Amino acid sequence: MAAKSIEQTAKVETPRIAWPIGLAAWAVPGLGHVLQGRWMRGLLLGGSVWVMFLTGLWLGGHLFTVTDHGLAAFVQLLPMSANVGAGLLYLFCWLTNTGFAEQAQRLTYEYGNTFLLVAGLLNYLAALDAFDIAAGRKE
Amino acid sequence: MRHVLWMAVFAGLTGIVFGVVSRGTDRHRLIYGLKVFGEFVAIAFVLGWILYFLPIR
Repeated sequence: MAAKSIEQTAKVETPRIAWPIGLAAWAVPGLGHVLQGRWMRGLLLGGSVWVMFLTGLWLGGHLFTVTDHGLAAFVQLLPMSANVGAGLLYLFCWLTNTGFAEQAQRLTYEYGNTFLLVAGLLNYLAALDAFDIAAGRKE
Repeated sequence: MRHVLWMAVFAGLTGIVFGVVSRGTDRHRLIYGLKVFGEFVAIAFVLGWILYFLPIR
């Protein structure tokens, strides 16, 4: 019975539209929900991520990138992957070289780092939510 | 005081996202979001008091 149920679940195909929706949701926080007509969700999710990211920069946090080589690069890869979750916000900062300088002398430096890291992680969550809605797995 | 404020802002924004992506009715989502916010704030205060009594200077 359980095997049959799993087999039936595996046969459900993900609609193709779900992939670009998920990508849009990652690239611009909130866009994935707005494109599906979920304005309130898009505004709440996107607004939260945007506010958290911009507050993180304002508090003096810094974005991570891989600058070292070898094993040391792996240490930077983890926080960088969290930052990349912010999508085009990260890309824009990278292109304009904004937010990559360390400002450890500022009292709110660690707060800023946490805000930036969590903004990216929350956007991954929001993008997965938009993907699930587009795939029909969630209302 | 400012640190408490930023901690509350962080908890609030995280609570919004967790509440919105959760399942259930709007009421359930609101309650879950508020619960996440409350837990973040409460745990921060508890950890703050624990660290206060530890002899770390």
